[in-house]
Amino acid sequence: MGLLAPSLLLGLLAAVVPYLIHRFGRRPPRPQAFAAMELLIAAERRVRARHRLREILLLLLRTAMAAALPLVFARPFMERDSSAPAMALSQQSAVLLLDDSASMQRTLGRSSPFERAREQALAISRQMPTGSALALVLASGQNAAPIAELTLEKSRVVDAIEQVVPTAKAADFGGGIRRATTILNNATHKERRIYVLTDGQASGWLDSAIPTGENAPDLAVFDVTKGKAPWTNHAVVDIEALPLPEAGANAVAITASLANWGPVPASVTASLKIDGVVVAKGAAEIPADGQTQKRFVHILGDDRAGLHEVEVSVDPDDFPLDDQRYASLAMVQSLRVLFINGDPRTPRNEDEGFFLESALQSAESGITLTTLMPDEAAQADLGAFGVIYVANVGDPSAALAASLTQFVSQGGGVFFSTGQNVDPDAWNSRFGGILPQPIGVVRTAATQGAPTSGELVDGRPAEHLAPLDRRHPLMARFATGADGLASARFYKYTLLEPIPDDASRSVILRFESGSPALIERIFPATGAGNLKPGRTMLLATTVDRDWTDLAIRPGFLPLIAEVTRRLGGGPEGGRSAELVVGATRELSFAGAEDTLEVGKPSGGTWLSRRRGQSDAQRVPFTDTGVPGVYRVKAGNASDTNRAEDPNRTFVVNIDPVESNPAQRAPDKQSQANAAAQNLRPKHKVPLWHGVAMALMLLLLAESIVTLRRRAPATAKAS
Amino acid sequence: MATTGATTAALDPTELARRSSMALRARVIVEGAFAGLHHNPSLGSATEFAEHKEYAPGDDFRRIDWKVVGRQDRYYVKRFEDETEMRTLLLLDSSASMGYGRNSVTKLMYAGFVAAALAYLLARQGDPAGLMIHDERMRRYLPPSGRGGHIRELLGTLDTMTPGGPTNLAAALERVADLAQRKSLVIVFSDLLDVGASGGGGAAKGKTAQALSQLSARGHDVALFHVLDPDEIDLPFDEITEFLGMEPGDARDVVVDAADLRQAFARESAAFQSRWRQTCLQAGVEYRLVTTQEPPGAVLRSFIGARGRTKL
Repeated sequence: MGLLAPSLLLGLLAAVVPYLIHRFGRRPPRPQAFAAMELLIAAERRVRARHRLREILLLLLRTAMAAALPLVFARPFMERDSSAPAMALSQQSAVLLLDDSASMQRTLGRSSPFERAREQALAISRQMPTGSALALVLASGQNAAPIAELTLEKSRVVDAIEQVVPTAKAADFGGGIRRATTILNNATHKERRIYVLTDGQASGWLDSAIPTGENAPDLAVFDVTKGKAPWTNHAVVDIEALPLPEAGANAVAITASLANWGPVPASVTASLKIDGVVVAKGAAEIPADGQTQKRFVHILGDDRAGLHEVEVSVDPDDFPLDDQRYASLAMVQSLRVLFINGDPRTPRNEDEGFFLESALQSAESGITLTTLMPDEAAQADLGAFGVIYVANVGDPSAALAASLTQFVSQGGGVFFSTGQNVDPDAWNSRFGGILPQPIGVVRTAATQGAPTSGELVDGRPAEHLAPLDRRHPLMARFATGADGLASARFYKYTLLEPIPDDASRSVILRFESGSPALIERIFPATGAGNLKPGRTMLLATTVDRDWTDLAIRPGFLPLIAEVTRRLGGGPEGGRSAELVVGATRELSFAGAEDTLEVGKPSGGTWLSRRRGQSDAQRVPFTDTGVPGVYRVKAGNASDTNRAEDPNRTFVVNIDPVESNPAQRAPDKQSQANAAAQNLRPKHKVPLWHGVAMALMLLLLAESIVTLRRRAPATAKAS
Repeated sequence: MATTGATTAALDPTELARRSSMALRARVIVEGAFAGLHHNPSLGSATEFAEHKEYAPGDDFRRIDWKVVGRQDRYYVKRFEDETEMRTLLLLDSSASMGYGRNSVTKLMYAGFVAAALAYLLARQGDPAGLMIHDERMRRYLPPSGRGGHIRELLGTLDTMTPGGPTNLAAALERVADLAQRKSLVIVFSDLLDVGASGGGGAAKGKTAQALSQLSARGHDVALFHVLDPDEIDLPFDEITEFLGMEPGDARDVVVDAADLRQAFARESAAFQSRWRQTCLQAGVEYRLVTTQEPPGAVLRSFIGARGRTKL
C-alpha cells in the first residue's frame, strides 16, 4: 500500500481533538437546586450504563472521522498485478473471441473455465487504454457477435461480456476467427489483435482459419485452464432405442455408447430412465481412452403405444452436461394389415406373399396380418385395416378399386407391387385415381436363373438401386442399413408412364437406370374430422423372388417395416430426428393443419401458425439450446388437444466432440505470444474512495447517535 | 371587571402570588371558584335540629328562628344535625423541598393558597379550622377555632410561613393524631419527597403511610394534596446541569445532561405518584395530585365538588 500525498498524513494529529474536547472542552454545568433528587438519582442510575456506552461510541466515531479525513486527502492506493496481459495495455483494435461452448461449463476448482474466460475478457476490455476499439464474438454455434462492429465504448463491451451465458453448443473457432478477421478489416489502428479466451479444447479448432499474411491480425490464444491438471471425462456419446419384437410385443432395447477420456479405466453406474422414471441401472467398465456399450432391455407397460422419452445417464463428473443423453422411442399402436394376394401358390415358398408376410410379422410388433384373395377383399370392410398391401393382382374388379379408393380418401395407406399377373391397362383404369403413377410395360434387365458371373447375369448386369436419396423421411432411417438395399438385384421391373411433376408425388427409390423403383403419393386430408392424409406407394417390381432378390436381402425387412409404419401413420424414424444443441429443425405443415406446437424440455411451448395456403409450409425451429426431447403437436388453431406427431418429434443432444478433453497444440503465433501473455504489469488500485465512503458512513452514524440523544423536551404536566 | 379579574386570579397561581395578602388571595380564590355558579357552596339543610347559630351575612335568612329573635332580640339561625360544626385541620409540609418552584410560585406558596381558600370557606360557614405547619418538627400550630379573628390569624400565619428544614411528615401526622380529640377533617399538603420517593419500601415512606392509616382508622377524614412542580414530573431541562439537593444536610450533587435523562425521569416520577396513590387508597385516604401550575380555584372546586354539598 502507498500514498500519493503522504505529507497530508500530518492531519492525523487531528484525531486527538475529539478526545481533548470530550475531556476538557465541556461547558461548566449550570447549578440547579432540585427537590426531586431521589427520582433524579434513580433515573440516572437506570440509564447510566447506556449513556456511558454512547459517550464512548461518540468519542470513537468522532476520532475515526478526524482520522479518516486526512487519510482521504493522502490518497492511499494498493499495487496489484494486472489481470490483463501487457499486450492489452496499448491502444489497438481488438476482437474478443469468447468461448461459450459446452465444455466451458465444467467444474474447474471453485469456478468454471467460462467464468475464468469471462473474467479475463473483462480485465482486457477494462484495462485497454481509452481510444482502443473493441468487438465481441462468441465461439459457439453460429458465432453470434454481441458487439459486431468495433466500438470505442468500453462500457458497452463490458456490459455485453457480463451478459454472455455459456451454452451447451459445440465450439466453432474457425467461424469465430473468420468473423473476427472480417470485423478487424475495418480497424483504424495499426495494432490489430484477436483475443481468444478458451479452455484450450482441440475440438472446434480449424488451423486453416488462422489468419496469415502481412496484414493479418495478431492472434492471442489464452488458455484459461493453463496450470491446471489435465482434464479427464466420461460421457454418454450415443444412444439407440428400438423395439425388440423377439422379446415380446412390449419389449424395447436401449443401447448406449459410453466413452472414457482418461488414463485409467472408469467404473460407472449407468441408469436408464423412460418417461422420467428410472427403470434400470447397471454397472459398466469403460476402458482407458476407449468406449463400451451398455445395453438395456426393458418391457413397457400395456399402454406402450405412443412416444416415450428415453434417457441414459452415468455418474456425474466435472462435466455433467454430457453425462446423460436422450432419445425418443415411438411405439405404434396395434396395426391391422391386409394383404391382398394376387398370386397365391400351394408351395409356401413360391407364394407371392411368403416373404412379405414373414417381414411384416417380424418387422414390427403389434401387427395383425390378414390375407385375402382379391374377390374376398372386394367384399370385406376395408375400414377395419390401417394398411393394405396389393401384390401382383391381375385384373382388379371395379368393386375392389372403389373400396381401395374410398379407403385412401379416409386416410388409409395402400402399397402396390407389380408382377407378371399385372395388366397395366386394367391397373391404370381401375386404380388410376390412387396409383402414385400410371404403370407401363415390363423391362427385363437380365434373365433370372442364367449363369452368373459376379454381378453379370446372362452377360448383362442385373439392375441395382441407385444411391439412396436420404431427403425422404423414409430413407433417412437407413443410415446404417443402406447396404441391405444396395446389394439387391432386379431382373425385371415395371416402367412407369411419364407424367408432369406433382408435389404430391415423391420418388423414394430409383433403379440405376433412373426409373422409379418405389414412389409415394400423398392425398391431402379431406378435413371434416379427418386430418390424416391418405398415402399410396408403388413398388415397380415383385415382393417375392420372381423378378428380384430384394426379398432375401437384409434391407427388405426394415424397408417393409418403415413402409408399413409410414402408411399406417406411425413414426418414421429415430436417428434422423436427432440434432445437436443449437441446430435448426425444419418443421412442416401437412394437410389441413394450420398450427404446429413444440413442447420444449425446459417446459416452455413454441407455437407456429400457417399464414395462408400461399405461405411456405416449412418453418424453422431454432430454439434447441437445451438437450432433451422436443415433442411436436399438429392440428388446427381451434384444437385444444392437438395430436402429438411422433414423426416430427425430435431429440436434441450435446455434440460429443465437446466431451473430448484433448487439448489443442498451440500454433507458432500463439507460442510467440505466450511470453507477452504472461507479462502482467502492476497497476495501482485507489483506496481513497473506500475511505471516503467510510467517512460518510461515520458521519451518518454520528448524526444518528446525536439525534437520538436530543429528544425534544415536553413541559406539559400530567 | 372585578369578577373577571377575580376569576383570572383564581385560575392563575402566578397572578395570585402578586396579591398583597393571603386573606385577599383566599377570597379571590373562593369567589373565583364559585363565580357564576348558582348553588351555594355553603352547607346544606336537614330536618333534625341541632343548635342555634348567630346570623352572619350569607346565611339563609329563611332559617332565622323568629322565636329566639323575639326572646333575645338578636338574630339566630337554626342549624341541623348534618350542619354541626366540622373541625378541620390544615397540615402543611414546610420542608425545604417545598420551597422549589421556578415560576415564582413555590410548592409551599401554592399549598398555602389552597389551604387559605379552604380556611376562608370554612370560616364563612362558621366551621372551626386549624393549621399546623411542620417540617422536621412542628413550626406553628393554631388549633381549630370558630372565634372571630381566628381566621385572620390563620391567614396571617400562612402569609408568613417559609420553607426550611428536613421532612418528617410521619411525626407531623402522629402529632395531629394526638391533638385531634374529636373527629376532624385533616387536609395534608406535601410534596412527599424524601419520605420514600425512590422506592416502595423506604422506612420514611412506611412510617408516613402508617401514620396516615392510623389517622384514618381513628375516624378522621383525611385528604392528601400531593403538591408537585411541573419540573418534578417531566424534567424540562435541556443542558448539562448540576442538580443540588435542597434540604439541609442533603449534599447530593448530580451532574447530568438533563435531556438524556428526561424519559427515565418521567417514568420514575409517574411510578412515584402511582405508589402514593396506591398507599392512600389502602389507608382510606383521599389522594389528589396537584401541580403548581393548576389554578387553585379549580382544585378547590374539584375537591368540594367531589365531596358533595353536605360534607366538605
